[in-house]
Amino acid sequence: MTTDRVVTATAADVSAHRAAAAERLIGRLLIAVTYVAVGLLAIGVVLMVAAGISPLSEGPPLDLATLGAQLLAGEPAAFLWLGLMTVVAAPIGRVIVAAVAYARDGDWLMVGISLGILAVMAVGVGSALTVTV
Amino acid sequence: MLVGLLMLGGGAVAGGFGSLLGLGGGVLIVPLLTLGFGLPLREAVGVSLICVIMTSSAAAGVYLERHVANLRLGMTLELFTAIGALVGGSIAFLLSERLLSVLFAVLLLYVAVTMARGQRAEPDLDPDLAGPPTLHSDPGGSLTALERLSGDGYRVRNLGRGVVGAAGAGVASALLGIGGGIIKVPLMHLAMGVPLRVATATSNMMIGITAAASAVIYIIHGGIDPYVAGPTGIGVFLGATAGSRVSHRIDLRYLRLLFVVVLTYTAVQLLVRVVS
Repeated sequence: MTTDRVVTATAADVSAHRAAAAERLIGRLLIAVTYVAVGLLAIGVVLMVAAGISPLSEGPPLDLATLGAQLLAGEPAAFLWLGLMTVVAAPIGRVIVAAVAYARDGDWLMVGISLGILAVMAVGVGSALTVTV
Repeated sequence: MLVGLLMLGGGAVAGGFGSLLGLGGGVLIVPLLTLGFGLPLREAVGVSLICVIMTSSAAAGVYLERHVANLRLGMTLELFTAIGALVGGSIAFLLSERLLSVLFAVLLLYVAVTMARGQRAEPDLDPDLAGPPTLHSDPGGSLTALERLSGDGYRVRNLGRGVVGAAGAGVASALLGIGGGIIKVPLMHLAMGVPLRVATATSNMMIGITAAASAVIYIIHGGIDPYVAGPTGIGVFLGATAGSRVSHRIDLRYLRLLFVVVLTYTAVQLLVRVVS
């Protein structure tokens, strides 16, 4: 009986320790990705100013196929789009990291919820692409 | 150049105000871009969503590092705010600009009245608060769903009401470009029994996914202009960062009064624009 309690307490301690580490990791990830996004946007804005582009002139839409080439060419809009995509990716990345942490802990309900969130995001992208096309 | 600086400065003011008063800043960014720079409301909403994600991610990162936000509860409700945001983001492109403007004006008046009454949830987060981690698991599998969502010293209740409210907050966020904290914080605190500082931190964390779900739709529909989002986003980020650092030195009573006046004036301007 006593041995069982000790084993349960130890399992709970390990779990809590792992949970705390996962939350710290997710927190740091969010902060780091946000700073990267701000850096990319700042580069885009500086290039925009250098090229004499007004924010009120209509910006080009996102074109993933040519984004790499545009970045190499130093196009301001490419850096801005990469920054904007990084901004949107930050919370999505947080859900993925949390899902992995929950899976390592064997918490399948939370894994299911995490996957549900990602599925809703995927449905949003899919439906928007279908309507646009 | 001047327009870019004005956008950056305006974004900084919106971010600073939002940070000081515990709002995401969306309620100021949309009017700033529509009334100040003549952008269509839908485009302003798209840019506002980006700004809201930026401030949310930075703040949520700190809250998670310090174990203030309830990750488990936040992610559970996020599933439903994301569904709401998906619905809202899809119908936002079907609604007329006029209707959206009226809805936004009503929101501004609601926030102004709530603030004037002093009933709005206070952003009283203690940055040094260190609570227990909320990613804790249940190795024995003996806890109920609500117990597993609860934190140290509080027990979550009314999950059903929370789920419905979270979905509503998602719709509002996608339609109006706001974080939805004005709905989620009172919902978690008053209806679900979550302590205010935990509710504020958890809501802040949830805003990222809520806004990202609809921002993706706005990007695909061409509803976000990178030339506007760049300077405004940087401004909001800088303003929010500065605001959080000086908040303890500022008497928020006068600031809140000023904010009520600004929100009311902005709501009236939006309604006048709709009528004219």
